[in-house]
Amino acid sequence: MKISYNWLKEYVNFYLLPQELSDKLTNTGLVVADIQSVEDDFCIDVEVTSNRPDCLGVIGIAREVAAVVGASVQYPKTNYTSTDIEVSKLISIAVEEPILCPHYTARIVRHITVKPSPEWMQKRLKCIGLRPVNNIVDITNYVMMETGQPLHAFDLDKLSDKKIIVRRAKSGEEIVAINGARRALFHDMLVIADGKRPVAIAGIMGGKDTEVSESTRHILLECAQFEPRQVRRTSKATGIASDSSYRFERGIDPEGVELASKRAVKLINDYAEGEVAHGVNDIRSGRYEKKRITLRIERLNKVLGLEIKRDVASDILKRLQFNILNEVDTFIDVEVPSYRGEVYREIDLIEEVARIYGYNNIPTKTSISVRGSVKSKYEIVEDSVRHFLTGIGFYEAKTFSIVDTSPLQSVNLWSDRAGVDIANPLRQEESRLRTCLLPSLIRTRIYNMHHGVEQARIFEIAKVYLAGEKLPEEKTCLSILADIDFLTLKGIVESLLASLGITSKCEWMAFDGSILFKADKSAKIQLGNNILGYIGEVKELEFKTSPCMVELDLDLLVKMSNFSKYFQMLSQYPPVLRDLAIIVDEEVTWASIEKCILAANISFMTAINFFDIYYGKQIPSGKKSIAFNLCFQAFDRTLKSEEVDVAQQMILDSLYKTLGAELRKQ
Amino acid sequence: MLEKLEEVKKNIQSEIKSVTALKDAEQLKVKYLGRKGIIQDFMKLIPSLPAEQRAAIGQRINSLKTEVTNIVDELLKKFSGEITSKATHEIFDVTLPGKRPLVGKKHLITQTIDDIKEVFARLGFDVVYGPEVESEYYNFEALNIPADHPSRTDFDTFYIKNDVILRSQTSTVQIRVMEKQKPPIRIIAPGRVYRPDTVDARHSFMFHQVEGLLVDEGVSFADLRGVLNQFIKTYFGRDVQMRFRPSFFPFTEPSAEVDISCSLCKGKGCSVCSYSGWVEILGAGMVDPNVFKAVHYDVEKYTGFAFGMGVERITMLKYGINDIRLFYENDIRFLSQF
Ligand SMILES: [Zn+2]
Repeated sequence: MKISYNWLKEYVNFYLLPQELSDKLTNTGLVVADIQSVEDDFCIDVEVTSNRPDCLGVIGIAREVAAVVGASVQYPKTNYTSTDIEVSKLISIAVEEPILCPHYTARIVRHITVKPSPEWMQKRLKCIGLRPVNNIVDITNYVMMETGQPLHAFDLDKLSDKKIIVRRAKSGEEIVAINGARRALFHDMLVIADGKRPVAIAGIMGGKDTEVSESTRHILLECAQFEPRQVRRTSKATGIASDSSYRFERGIDPEGVELASKRAVKLINDYAEGEVAHGVNDIRSGRYEKKRITLRIERLNKVLGLEIKRDVASDILKRLQFNILNEVDTFIDVEVPSYRGEVYREIDLIEEVARIYGYNNIPTKTSISVRGSVKSKYEIVEDSVRHFLTGIGFYEAKTFSIVDTSPLQSVNLWSDRAGVDIANPLRQEESRLRTCLLPSLIRTRIYNMHHGVEQARIFEIAKVYLAGEKLPEEKTCLSILADIDFLTLKGIVESLLASLGITSKCEWMAFDGSILFKADKSAKIQLGNNILGYIGEVKELEFKTSPCMVELDLDLLVKMSNFSKYFQMLSQYPPVLRDLAIIVDEEVTWASIEKCILAANISFMTAINFFDIYYGKQIPSGKKSIAFNLCFQAFDRTLKSEEVDVAQQMILDSLYKTLGAELRKQ
Repeated sequence: MLEKLEEVKKNIQSEIKSVTALKDAEQLKVKYLGRKGIIQDFMKLIPSLPAEQRAAIGQRINSLKTEVTNIVDELLKKFSGEITSKATHEIFDVTLPGKRPLVGKKHLITQTIDDIKEVFARLGFDVVYGPEVESEYYNFEALNIPADHPSRTDFDTFYIKNDVILRSQTSTVQIRVMEKQKPPIRIIAPGRVYRPDTVDARHSFMFHQVEGLLVDEGVSFADLRGVLNQFIKTYFGRDVQMRFRPSFFPFTEPSAEVDISCSLCKGKGCSVCSYSGWVEILGAGMVDPNVFKAVHYDVEKYTGFAFGMGVERITMLKYGINDIRLFYENDIRFLSQF
């Protein structure tokens, strides 16, 4: 809220320059965002948090300043003279919805002169960015800015049947508001109506038909209280927000109607001449009960970590206009001012004391108990993965979880359920939670290509969202994309698994590629009974290179990881290496060869190392030659050449029997 | 005869010194070891020697031959590189660029989160995570933000369907942890949060927060100040000052906004700190009793504090980054800087 420095000085004596004042306000919770000098005044822009509607008027801010500097507040004058004619003779009022409108008052001033407002008032309004209109409108704005209580002036002659009814709108009714907006009204909206039609949307904006104009002679001044949530809902539904609705939504002082109404009438009497009708038409349901709270001094000190005495707390509360009902060494009973609706518990009083005592005067303690923290397995895996991948030259990317609904972004490798859509997206580009990370990495790769990066190695750890019962399933994935070939990427995955202590072997099964991968160069990776992920070469996009990528289920990696380690004896005896080349049918996979070699079950065989595949003149068509070596090493003896020969022959026999493999003659 | 052999040996030693290129070595080879070379000439002399000297002289000639062969081979080896590279005998240029291995980096946001985690781990905080798609209850009601309340204005939210939202703050994790666990609690919860903000240099519809929560008997606002001061000094530097300002969050009471002295202008005022000398880095406060009530904690017995910070915000402050979009473009030229 913008306030004028000079205007503020009218209610409280202080000797602070605008910057000093701003610092004080900021330190008590009213952050000053900006100070602008305007002619001989200053416009101070105060950020008022939603719990402090009492500070949406200059008087409210003056009360804060008074509490801080230890001064008192001078309230504005409300004296005026009235004629003999009773307000109640001139207008009848009915409140049909007392819960939505607990308090409604009307005062009437007749035979006024609509003209520009006095110079000083215009100056203040301009200082805080309001445009002067005429004396009546300006006075209602001025008093709202002064007290925080919204007011509205109707042209009395334009109200049909000399009636005001506060009621719900009827279906089919509509209104053209002062700002020119035409709105259909509905039953869940509260309106101010005359004998025939709605003349205002309660608490939000008056109607154009009954607004004060140059020709207005008599006015009805409404000053009322409306239920905050009702105003908020209607403001949202009609799309009309105003300084008035802003204040009603946050809650006004339930005892503030009288002051504001009388203050406005006084100013109208002073600056628009006119004759004030006697009294007020006042409909109020129930009485406002002041809240009483007990503050225990021990609790205060316990929560804040202070050691202050009762009198310090008591002094602060008095300065804040809390009425001290009773105080002894251990506690203080207070009555809360009506305009501090948000203060209703002991903890709220503790905050009040802390605020004025000064948050920065509270000590900075380092006495919390000692506690060791433990890394979860998830964290360990996440850290290990990042460590491993950055160590071999990969950059970590972070891309948006909300994506568009294009076919590429809609890829779902993990589930056949639909994607999770945002009901209120800002743009079509960000309207669905992603089901796969790879499209985002492809885009990142393209983005980098367009910025001159020729080769890239990137990865991301993030969630994919798979539709579920109430909440979707959130699966954490690891995706990698790099300008490297399939087997290099596969090797990276294998090494990564080894680094996580995952010893069980993955199965790499041919996969149709979906729309992401080249069908003949993609695989589904199975780990135990679970799908670990999908790997392959990126389907032709605009790449000059042929990047490969993989998406892995990180949650599964966490589950399968094993970081417990135990020393393995190192053999003291020399290894024996045997290089072999076998000729097999083209369809025979390495996996089946490996499986077959292992099936021979040679206890002292320690490794199988693949060399290469060869097709050529010496190899019959439909066949291929696969070269590899076998490593034999025992823990208890030097292996004899003969026993390795026997083992090798067993393996070759097994390969021949199972796969028809023949030893290639060199 | 023997003297002649000794002379040859001496000659070779001096000739070696004048060998500076492969062709010199080759000439040397031809001169001594060639079919018409010096050593062959000696060999031819053997039959003409007296019978009793033949064996001894023959042996000496052979050993000389071996010696010379070794020397010549060494020289040939030494200078054979010249054929492929003329630079071999020139000075090695140590200023040529090194052959660098590929180096990758963690994303800067991860680095910041890791830094935060490390500071708080040393203070005994465990790291926990929670779902990003949440029931409205965990994002609002349980955090003392009722429906139709003006404080909701500060919490614009993406909706999935009725009652299901994308969390707009990591404070949701507080409730999930307290529902499952009794005090003492000491956690931090990093993660992605979402708000329907139009993207510009300062705003993003997705960003990261780290939430912290400590609940125990006898925890005070002074402890909150102590813990945050520790964090600020470790993360931003020993000479950085901390300032608490009263503020409002529905889930804490008393609530505070925490500023640090602007490190760019050392508190004098500059455009980064809007000429105030201070920059806001996080929100904090004592857990509101209504939040404890939502998780059935004894509000008399336990007190606690919570704090939350925007990861992008403090990263931008620390590294002087002026556009939040850089974090999500993943331009390798950006990623490689940190
Ligand atoms: Zn600065």
